[in-house]
Amino acid sequence: MLKRQRTLALSLALASGTALAASGAMAQTIDSKRIEANNPNDWLTYHGSYNSYHYSGLTQINAKNVKNLSVAWIHIPGHSTRGLQSMPLVADGILYYTGSYSRVFAIDGATGGVMWAYTPELDDALVARQTHSPYNRGAALGEGKVFVGTVDGRLIALDMKTGKPVWDTKLIDSQKLTVGFTGAPLYANGVVIIGSQGGEWPVQGKIYGIDANSGQKKWEFNTTGDDSAKATWGNDTWRIGGGGGWMPGAFDPKTNTVWWGTSNPDPLYDWSGGDYKTKGARPGDNLYTSSVLGLDVETGKLKFYHQELPHDTWDFDAAPGEFVMLQRGGQNYVVHPNKSGFIFVYDDSAHVKNVWPIVHNYNFVKNIDPKTGELIGRRDFAAGKQDDVLCPHISGGVSWNSGSYNPKTGLYYKLGQEWCMKLEVVKTTPVTQPQVQLNIGANFTIAPPPDGPIYGHLDARDPITGAKKWEVRFPEPPMASVMSTAGNLVFVPDSRGIVHAFDASTGKELWTHNDGLGHQGGIMSYSAGGKQYVAVTSGFGGMVSDDFAPAFGGVYKSMPRDDGALVVYSLSK
Amino acid sequence: MKNRALFLVVVSGLLGFSWSSLAQPVDQTSHLDVNQLFATTCGWCHNDGGRTAGKGPQLMNTKRSDDFIRNRIKHGKEGAMPAFGSTFSDADIDKIIQYIRALKPEQP
Repeated sequence: MLKRQRTLALSLALASGTALAASGAMAQTIDSKRIEANNPNDWLTYHGSYNSYHYSGLTQINAKNVKNLSVAWIHIPGHSTRGLQSMPLVADGILYYTGSYSRVFAIDGATGGVMWAYTPELDDALVARQTHSPYNRGAALGEGKVFVGTVDGRLIALDMKTGKPVWDTKLIDSQKLTVGFTGAPLYANGVVIIGSQGGEWPVQGKIYGIDANSGQKKWEFNTTGDDSAKATWGNDTWRIGGGGGWMPGAFDPKTNTVWWGTSNPDPLYDWSGGDYKTKGARPGDNLYTSSVLGLDVETGKLKFYHQELPHDTWDFDAAPGEFVMLQRGGQNYVVHPNKSGFIFVYDDSAHVKNVWPIVHNYNFVKNIDPKTGELIGRRDFAAGKQDDVLCPHISGGVSWNSGSYNPKTGLYYKLGQEWCMKLEVVKTTPVTQPQVQLNIGANFTIAPPPDGPIYGHLDARDPITGAKKWEVRFPEPPMASVMSTAGNLVFVPDSRGIVHAFDASTGKELWTHNDGLGHQGGIMSYSAGGKQYVAVTSGFGGMVSDDFAPAFGGVYKSMPRDDGALVVYSLSK
Repeated sequence: MKNRALFLVVVSGLLGFSWSSLAQPVDQTSHLDVNQLFATTCGWCHNDGGRTAGKGPQLMNTKRSDDFIRNRIKHGKEGAMPAFGSTFSDADIDKIIQYIRALKPEQP
C-alpha cells in the first residue's frame, strides 16, 4: 500500500511537470513505476530505462551549442585493472558507478564531490586465476539501495545514502566454477535480476532473481538445464554447457516480463562438422544458449524464448546488447543485437519479425531468414585449419556495449565491427565435469576482412527494417556504448580515447574531446541543479581491447590497461 | 588441490613423457596434453599455440628463463594473465615449459 502511495505521488509530480530536485531530502524511492516514468534528469538503469533506448530526453546540450561542451569534473577511481567498463547511473543528482573489483562510488553529480565509496572484500586467490575479470560493468538502483555483482559470485546491496552494505548474498560457488558476475543487475518489481558468466566455461550458467529487500534468492533459471532443454544436449553435455547471461537485460512492465540474453555454449568451437545434431562435442541445438528469454519477474518461469543461433559454434552469443522496446503501427517491437552483427526484431513474445545485418563482413552463415530467423547456409567446422577466415572475429560484429534508439529521429544508432579471424578447430577431449578454466576448442588469430583492413562504423538505421540513413567510419572498431539525445546528438566514445558528438540527423561531426584513454564502457546524460551533464567512462583493457595493441599498434602500444577515469562534461558558456 | 584434480580428470591424452631428465625433481607424472591445453585455455591470448603474439606475448623463441615462465604460470600477472598455481602441478608446468621450448613455426 505504501508503495502504491509513493507511486501515485511520483506520478502526480511528473504529471505536473515538477522536476525532481538534486536533494536527498526531496528524493523519491526508486521503484519500477519511477524507472518506467523515465524522468530525463535521471538515468536509473544500465540501459537508461526499461525500454533500453540509451537515450537522453534532455535538450540543454544540443546540436547548436555542443561546440561549447567541456570537462566539468573528473573522478579517478584508481586500481582500474583492465580499464573502466561500467555504465554510470544517476538518481536525484547523485551519480553512482562501479570500477574494477566491484568498487562502487557515489558522487555529487554537479560538483564531482565523492559522497561515499565502497570496496568489497573479494576472494583474491580466485580473482587471480580468472580470465574475464576483475572488471565490472555496472550497478542497479532500487528501494534505496545500490546493487552490484562481484566476480566471486555475490550480489551486494548497499544503502544509497551511506554506501554501507545492507545484504550480501552468495549465489555462485565461484571457487569451484571460476565464473562470477561482471555484468550489471536489473531492478524490477522488487526483484534484482543478474546473470552469471558462463559461455567459455564448462558450467551451468544461470540467471538469478533476488528479493531486493531481503537479499534472499527467489528463483534461478538454468540456461542449459531445464527439462525441455536437456534433450537438446547429446551425451548429457548440458551439465557443462556454459551459457549464462553476462550482460543485463530489460523489463517489459506491460507483461511483467524480464528479457534476458544468454551466452554461448562450450567448447566455443565444435568439430562436429555438418552433423552437429548428432555428433561433436555437444550434439544438438544446445538450448537455451545464444538465445533471448522472456522470464516471469516473480518466478523466473520461462514464458517464451527464441534461440538466435542454434548450436552456436562461433561464440556469437545473445547475452550482450540492448532490448529496444518500441511501438510502430500499433505493433510492439523488441530490437536486440546478436553478437554476430545480426539485429533481431521481435514482437513482444520473441516471435521473429525481421533480421538484418549491421556488419558488412560475415560468413558464419550465408544469411539469416528475416521472416523466421532460421540460419541459412551455416558454416559448421570439422577439426583442423579452416581455409577461409571466419567473419566476424570472436570479439563480435557488435560490442558488448549498447546502441541507442532516438524516438525523435526514429533512428537506431549502433556500432558495427568489421574484423575476422584465422581459425583452427581442435578436437579436444570431452569435458565431463566443471573445469577451472576456459574450454575454447580452437586456436585463432585476428585477421582483416577479405576485402580490406579492419574498421568500425556507426550506423544510423531504421531499427525495424535496417534501412541505413548514414554511416560514419572509424579506423578501429569503437567498443563503448552510444548515446543519442533529444538535442539531436549522438555521442560515440571511441577506442583511441576520443569522444565524438555527431548530428543525429545527418552524421556530421560537431564536437570531439580526447579523454586520453580508450573507451569501452558507458556514456549517459543527466541533470543536476538544473544543468545537463554528459558522463563517460574511459579506460582500456580486457579480452577484446587487449587485442588492439598487437593488431593496430599506434596509440594502443602505450595505452595503459590498468587505468581509468570518469569524465563528466557540461556547457562552458 | 581439488581444482587441480578436476583439471587432470578432464584434460587427458597421455604422452608418456619421461621426467627423469628434468632439472627439478617432480612428485608425479603429468598427464597434461599441452597441445589441447592451448586449444582450450591458453590460445585466446597466446595465439597459434603460442607461436604468435596476441593479447599475450609470443612464446615461441622466448628469451625468458624457465624460472620466469614457471613463476608467471603459477602466479599470473594482475590484469594480464590468470594464475594457474592451483590448477597445475609442478610436473604440469614443467611440461608446459618443455612445450614452449619445442615450439617451431608451423609448416605452410
